[in-house]
Amino acid sequence: MIELYHVWKQYQKPHWALSDVSLEINSGDFCFITGPSGSGKTTLLKIIFREIYPSEGQILIDGVNILKIPDHKIFRLRRSMGIVFQDFRLLFHQSVFDNVALPLQILGQPYKEIRRRVFNALRQVNLHHKMWDFPQRLSYGEQQRVAIARAIVNQPKILLADEPTGNLDPELAFEIMAIFKDINKQGATVIIGSHDRELIRHFGDKIFFLQKGKIIGKEVKP
Amino acid sequence: MIFRKLKYLVRAAANNLWNFRGRNLISVLIISFSFLVIGIFLALSNNLIYIGQQMSNNLAISFFLDKNLKTEELENIRSQILASSLVQSLNFISPEEAYERFITNFPELKEILENLKSNPFPAAYEVKLKKNVTSLLAITTFLENIKRLKGVLDVQFNQEWVEKMQSLSRLVKAIGFFLGGILILASFFIISNVVRLNVFARKNEIEILRLVGATNNFIRVPFLIEGSVLGLLGSLISIFILFLLIKIFPVYLGNSLGAAKELFALRPLTMEQSVWLIIGGAITGILGSVTSVSRFLRI
Repeated sequence: MIELYHVWKQYQKPHWALSDVSLEINSGDFCFITGPSGSGKTTLLKIIFREIYPSEGQILIDGVNILKIPDHKIFRLRRSMGIVFQDFRLLFHQSVFDNVALPLQILGQPYKEIRRRVFNALRQVNLHHKMWDFPQRLSYGEQQRVAIARAIVNQPKILLADEPTGNLDPELAFEIMAIFKDINKQGATVIIGSHDRELIRHFGDKIFFLQKGKIIGKEVKP
Repeated sequence: MIFRKLKYLVRAAANNLWNFRGRNLISVLIISFSFLVIGIFLALSNNLIYIGQQMSNNLAISFFLDKNLKTEELENIRSQILASSLVQSLNFISPEEAYERFITNFPELKEILENLKSNPFPAAYEVKLKKNVTSLLAITTFLENIKRLKGVLDVQFNQEWVEKMQSLSRLVKAIGFFLGGILILASFFIISNVVRLNVFARKNEIEILRLVGATNNFIRVPFLIEGSVLGLLGSLISIFILFLLIKIFPVYLGNSLGAAKELFALRPLTMEQSVWLIIGGAITGILGSVTSVSRFLRI
């Protein structure tokens, strides 16, 4: 379970990127955080995987206050998460295979297992035929799919995705959402930051509406 | 699992060395230049130390003896001299030998000697000091003690020369420590900055690794391997260039330096110095990497 209590974030005075955000996301939820550009979606996701610290507030994941985890132990939290970054964050001097394999290499998995799982993840995003290409030779949408494959390859407990379908055509976007839904059915909690109303309407079980850093609404589908 | 991770990390380091070869080559060149400067200085000071040793090898003292000494008295003086721990060897020069030596060295003065009725040269003990004897105080105490013995007329020993040699050796050491220290410090800063630039250029990579759950050590190890390889390569190249310089330097510059040629010659590094230079290269590379990477591990 992910719990946020009175989370505030300020990058620069006097504007607040997040103001007094409190929310609860249960294990196994498939939820969207939506709102216009600059509403604080990315900031909220970054705080959940602790890329940045909030100015105030507390964040608990499975009862653990993640703000109290020392820097040298934060890898444990991140290993339980799969993250699709808005800017993809791929290693451009490494092949698609190496990029997707990274979370498994970190765990010291055997090469055979890595190969099998990377291939499966790439097949899910329909990119297995470009396994040995380098990211700079791929289109924007393909790079995004590499980032998605890297996030799901480790079958994470929590999947965070920041605008994961932003550069994909609607058909592919729906396919990717279906993959996320699959992972969710296997028990993972999925949190997606998106402003794609069509997708949200179609897939969202729990939706948080953000505006100017504030939660202005919440919708839970029965 | 550890072996698998290590294999991956070594492979990652090798890939990075190759992928960023242009930048790495520049790092290696800067490291090798820094170590070359240190190496040249070491080679120069090796030469000065060598000259100093040669000079002290030639340190000789002559004790001039009374002509009328009996064998036992001569033997007594000899044993007193040999009792000193400073003495390497001792040689007796009879008046006749001294006469012959003088004529050989100064043939133009032969006639003057022949006009004399008797041989003017006294017998003498020529003493050679041990190589490691550098204390002037110990030498003068020894001289005073022997001079006090009955039958020792005079002592010939060029104190001024020894003093000059000793102050030169002190100067070389002081310059060595001062310049060596500055050079080592400067090279460390240059090298760690070069490595820092390398690390900075790969800031994104470190961030990505952190965000997908890599431990700090997992991130550090390839940088450490790369740093040590760059440092090692740099210092090895510097030793190789120094070797070439030692071969070429005397050929091109030897004659133009004239009398100063001996002072400015480069004497090859000892095995110990070379090993330290290589270890120094690796350590500098590693330290430069560690300090630089650590700055980016707080994500």
